[in-house]
Amino acid sequence: MALIHVPRPENAWNPNRAVNALLKSQVLQLHEAELKLPVRQQTDIYINAIKTEGEAAGYVRQVTEAIHAAHQTAAAKQARSRVKRTSKVRTKKKMTRKRGRTPR
Amino acid sequence: MPPGLDNLRHIVVLMMENRSFDHMLGSLTAVNPQIDGVTNQLGNPDTTGALVKPQPLAQFQGQLDPDPDHHFPAVDLQIFGGDTSPNRMANMQGFVKSYFNQQKDVGHSQKIMYYFAQNQLPVLTTLALEFAVFNRWFASIPGPTICNRAFAHYGTSFGRVDMNLLYVNEPFKSIYDRLINATPKHTSKLYYYDTASSTMEITNLLQNQPELFGTYQQFLDDSKTGNLPDYSFVEPNYSDHDSDDGEEVASDQHPDHNVQAGELFIASVYQAIKQNANLWQSTALLVVYDEHGGIYDHVVPPACTPDQFQASPNDTGIGMPFAFDRLGVRVPAILISPWIPKGTIVNRVFDHASIPGTLTKFFLGDYSPRSPRETSADVFIEPNVAPVNPARNLLSLDIMRTDCPDFDV
Repeated sequence: MALIHVPRPENAWNPNRAVNALLKSQVLQLHEAELKLPVRQQTDIYINAIKTEGEAAGYVRQVTEAIHAAHQTAAAKQARSRVKRTSKVRTKKKMTRKRGRTPR
Repeated sequence: MPPGLDNLRHIVVLMMENRSFDHMLGSLTAVNPQIDGVTNQLGNPDTTGALVKPQPLAQFQGQLDPDPDHHFPAVDLQIFGGDTSPNRMANMQGFVKSYFNQQKDVGHSQKIMYYFAQNQLPVLTTLALEFAVFNRWFASIPGPTICNRAFAHYGTSFGRVDMNLLYVNEPFKSIYDRLINATPKHTSKLYYYDTASSTMEITNLLQNQPELFGTYQQFLDDSKTGNLPDYSFVEPNYSDHDSDDGEEVASDQHPDHNVQAGELFIASVYQAIKQNANLWQSTALLVVYDEHGGIYDHVVPPACTPDQFQASPNDTGIGMPFAFDRLGVRVPAILISPWIPKGTIVNRVFDHASIPGTLTKFFLGDYSPRSPRETSADVFIEPNVAPVNPARNLLSLDIMRTDCPDFDV
């Protein structure tokens, strides 16, 4: 079968287009999520001032990346904390065996 | 077992935005009368009483501005033509009247009846003619995006009919959760276009399980390397914005975004799968739209099994409650696989609850709890368990096709 040509859109890009209802809803959802992030990861953006698609996209990007980063930070902390706890338990057992005591 | 089902390892769903069946695929009735699209007998009255017929005059951009209203009250008007009596019958006669309400311009309101000529949509119409097109795939509720997409993720919208924050308030897990927590474990991923476009499911999925998400570039990479998960949900670009790679044009086709950009995106998803021969023979791709966007369609949405929720008159905005016992307006839906005979037309009724329903039955078999709507939804891929009903199996070819189209993306 012959290759089917797909025309490219011309002059379609307009980040100054007024934000539509779907994007407004997305911004609201992300704002709700943003408020649950650690303060240092929250944006300084006032969402009621977002009027264009470009502005909405900028906000969406910051909060989406912040959510990912916050989860990664939390996961790393939890992993370090598990390593610490495991090594404390091992150290305690070692010390107990050395002294010939029955562990509690 | 049919080789199409035996070989199936991956299911991909691409959900686009806000266009009706007649608007996008209505032109195909002239090519194949079994496709239930536009005919000369159709029309809607405008506010002067004149009959407005559908015409192939749709434009890629700049025409449907303002964005046609697709919230619950407007869709109610579109479906019932303004009849609010208790025993009313749906007639699909209120589209022009509904669009008139937004600008009070008779001429402009008639544009809601426009549809695309076949040659304007080479990707969508080719896919519809080459693979399986669904004559009866409806939005899950007669309302907007967020609740309809929820049906694709959870099999329910948890009682919501609007665009407000949607929280999971019943133990119906997302299809992603079910798959990754199953024994044996399955894999699933939602691919959003990029972080500036992100996802439309933030409140529950992105906020709590961001590890479920990847970018469209990752989808392309995963397709190339053969590392697609068992289930992939792909979201288009929802906005025009700058990126590190330059200007990104919205590809969701939500009015007033450029429809050609969406055609390119659909072709890109299709080619990404097709270019990997192993993936192509083991993948089924569903291209579907979340809701009709307020744009004309002629098919009356059927009744359906009520969901266990009820939306109050306050929530619906029409002075009546809604028991989730009626589907939304018809949308384009096409299933793509080299195991599907060319020109397949499906007349059974589907809605977005069919997505988690199909995936659950195919990958997991019996599973509960699921919403009443999902439990009763039809499946578009038969479970690979004997005996397979040949009348229902869409991946029915004994030998894989070698004549499938390619698009220059």
